[in-house]
Amino acid sequence: MNKSAVAGVVAQGRRALHRRADPARIMEGRERRFAAALLAPAFLALMATTTFPLLFLIWTSFYRMNLSMPFMDGFAGLDNYRELLADPRFWQSLGVSLVYTASTVVLQVVIGLALAVLVHGMRRGQGLFRMVAILPVVLSPAVVGMVWRSFMLAPDFGVVDYLAVTAGLGSHNWLGDPTLALVSVIVIHTWQWTPFAFMVLLASLAALPDDIYEAARIDRASAWQSFRRITLPLLRPAIVMVIIMRTMVALTAFAAIFTVTGGGPGTATEILNLYAYRKSFTELSIGYGSALAVALLVFTLVVSGVLFALRRAK
Amino acid sequence: MTAKRLRLGILIGVSGLFLLAWIFPILWSLLNAFKTEQDVLAYPPKLVFSPTLDAFRDVLFGATSILPNLASSFIISIGTTIVTMALAIPAAYALARLRIPGKRWAGFYVLATQMLPPVGIIIPYFLILRNIGWIDTYQGIILIYLSFSLPFAIWLLVSYFEDIPFEMEEAAFLDGASRLKTLRRIILPQVQGGVAVTVVFVFLNAWNEFLFAVVLSGNTVRPVTIAMFNFVSVEQTLWAKLAAVSALAMLPVIVLGVVAQKHIVKGLTVGAVKGGGRR
Amino acid sequence: MSARGQVQLDGIVKKHGAFAALKGIDFEIKPGEFFALLGPSGSGKSTTLRILAGLDAPTSGRILVDGEDVTGADARERDVAMVFQSYALYPHMTVFENIAFPLEMAKRPKAEIGPAVREAAAKVKIEHLLDRKPGQLSGGQQQRCALARAIVRKARLFLLDEPLSNLDAKLRLETRVELKKLQRSLGVTAVYVTHDQEEAMTLADRMAVFMEGEIRQIGRPADVFAQPNSIEVAAFIGSPPMNLIPARYQDGSVLIGGRRLPTMLQTHGERDVVVGVRPSAVRFEADGIPATVEVVENLGDAAILDMSLAGTALRARYDRFPLPREGDAMGVTVRPEDIHLFDPVSRRRL
Repeated sequence: MNKSAVAGVVAQGRRALHRRADPARIMEGRERRFAAALLAPAFLALMATTTFPLLFLIWTSFYRMNLSMPFMDGFAGLDNYRELLADPRFWQSLGVSLVYTASTVVLQVVIGLALAVLVHGMRRGQGLFRMVAILPVVLSPAVVGMVWRSFMLAPDFGVVDYLAVTAGLGSHNWLGDPTLALVSVIVIHTWQWTPFAFMVLLASLAALPDDIYEAARIDRASAWQSFRRITLPLLRPAIVMVIIMRTMVALTAFAAIFTVTGGGPGTATEILNLYAYRKSFTELSIGYGSALAVALLVFTLVVSGVLFALRRAK
Repeated sequence: MTAKRLRLGILIGVSGLFLLAWIFPILWSLLNAFKTEQDVLAYPPKLVFSPTLDAFRDVLFGATSILPNLASSFIISIGTTIVTMALAIPAAYALARLRIPGKRWAGFYVLATQMLPPVGIIIPYFLILRNIGWIDTYQGIILIYLSFSLPFAIWLLVSYFEDIPFEMEEAAFLDGASRLKTLRRIILPQVQGGVAVTVVFVFLNAWNEFLFAVVLSGNTVRPVTIAMFNFVSVEQTLWAKLAAVSALAMLPVIVLGVVAQKHIVKGLTVGAVKGGGRR
Repeated sequence: MSARGQVQLDGIVKKHGAFAALKGIDFEIKPGEFFALLGPSGSGKSTTLRILAGLDAPTSGRILVDGEDVTGADARERDVAMVFQSYALYPHMTVFENIAFPLEMAKRPKAEIGPAVREAAAKVKIEHLLDRKPGQLSGGQQQRCALARAIVRKARLFLLDEPLSNLDAKLRLETRVELKKLQRSLGVTAVYVTHDQEEAMTLADRMAVFMEGEIRQIGRPADVFAQPNSIEVAAFIGSPPMNLIPARYQDGSVLIGGRRLPTMLQTHGERDVVVGVRPSAVRFEADGIPATVEVVENLGDAAILDMSLAGTALRARYDRFPLPREGDAMGVTVRPEDIHLFDPVSRRRL
């Protein structure tokens, strides 16, 4: 082949190249189609079970909709929200939510962290703690609530009552007194979920390299100093993550409170989540219940926004 | 030396106390399941008693047997697990592995769906399922269980898929395997552990779910967690039977928890530790 | 067979957004040739290999294998085999299953697979390990397993991405020799990516020196070593690297340390140059340019002397014993044919 012929072939090739889509596109397109085929079913299901109901929920929150009085149904505009802002029970449930969430999360993290540090330092018996810690976490909150309500907190024969009497504190109506009932549901939630914080933090502690502690010892840091200056900062991401995860769960806690107090006595343990449920499915006021659920969503978003901002802060 | 000993003693005492606090309520309710009604109600609480299987016999084979409810719980949990995994595995693989535009947004979307309070999902879905007659049906409850199991499963699986080196897949392509074959022959066998962990979690979450079950259950779909209320009423609570039902409801998840203990800790921490490190 | 495995890359450009990882790569590989892509990390050599394999697509340009345009073809359609730096063995399969996998994917009959696997395993001497899982193998055995998996299918192209870099030094030398023999006996075209110039020098028939997304020089290793065409290539090839000393050129000689060293270049005039001298080309003569020994790195059979020569550093290889001591004054000189001259501005060879 002479030179000009070669040049001709090359030029032809170049032209062919220009006519065709660029190869990177072709390859990406193939990958995209494959990805789409894999993603589509799951994302359709996700949209159908989360995004669509969310939109529907917002829509119903603008309606008067009561299943016991369907003849009254109709568009209500912002009425539900206006009612909500003037509803003392809403504000109270918001307050209960705040108290419940803040106290359970703080207790879980503080106790969980303390125990994690304690157990991490143990040379033997860690396995026992891990094993026991699994138990509450895997249980149904409804069953946990039932167990506590029936066998721990029952006034006449419950173990807690017995211990209180033995300790000289006297018998109490643990679930009948508004303050004690709130304390009880907080204790139950803390009991069930502290092991979660404990396990996560213990695993994070175990993942920290040993040599930094050795270095700290050589730098003559005391145990407390190395906890404050080394352990805490290194665990911070895990701690913050635990706080965020536990906060989301506490805000939407339902089963344990439902089985233990049902929100009572009165509305003493009625967190916003439970109020939305009761309004919708006990009082059948779906429209107003939807507005309450939207309020809960907004509250959740605000709280998580604050938490995520805090995470980024330092 | 003595001060050190003392401190050690206190530490062991404190940690032992917490150990007891966690295990006692569970053990106590299990114990009560082996008591007679009188023994349950005894004051002070009885630690020593003559055990009986009466309560178990009654709740399993008596007039109000909870066997159908256990079956119902299993159908819901297994059904949810199968559907969830079938949808989540391909999606997680694509999110973890493929170069696609908007991947970050897709991941964020999966995460964001978990922010939605369940009560906000069940209100509209109650209306929808009522309209299409799916209240008290398995398809209805499994469908809505996807709202929490699917994002969780995708998220957990992605972290396992991400652990497999890219080169493994590329080697398979060069060996002539198609994408689907690579996924089946090379990738999936390597994430078996992750799939197992995810299955355990999805099963547990479905077994333990309560809010959706309360709203959607009826005579057909009636899991144990709902059925245990049969033994509690204003007039009379059947304590020993309630304890037996609780024990039966706890049994599968405790067995699962103990068997899959290591995996569960990993599953719990994947989100927290990894997520904390990277995102 | 020998006609298989001809490769031509034609104007390959790869862009990641505004960043150009490859700025136009052209080369041709003859059938049966052992071709090395040599360069520092980030120079684009691995990207080029991945594009050749079909794992990445170029932004523009063409890839021809045996005259056939495979630019848009999937990796699995290209009939190429590859050994990865990490080996990428399938951990859940035995060695046998690993090696058999490409044959299975090619839908070869079962009866054919067993013998083929054993033959490939024998070639790399791991026939006794076929029942093991990769996790039970040493690094060297894993590397052999990866080689066997790559050769079993008798693909037309054999791509190797730093296959020796995870082995310890001794094993690396042994495997290097075997790799070359293997390639020769198979007669297959091999494209070999490495950052180790010694590997490229010893293994390759020809090599392409990559820098910053471009090929700086293509040629036989000995030619590239003897005639580096730029300062960068000169500095990269050879160990210890070439001394590069800014100096003044005047009518056929360079001025270093106040002395005139004659060069092979015979142009009149005066200009700034960079003088390149390999450490092994530095000669010691009592009446040479005076230099002071600062550090002696004893290699056993020779030493590298770090010297100071009229204010500039000079490294030299020294193999006479006893070795000089630190602080000693010595005279050095360089023969005209050992002096490389470069333009300090264009950085090209003069």
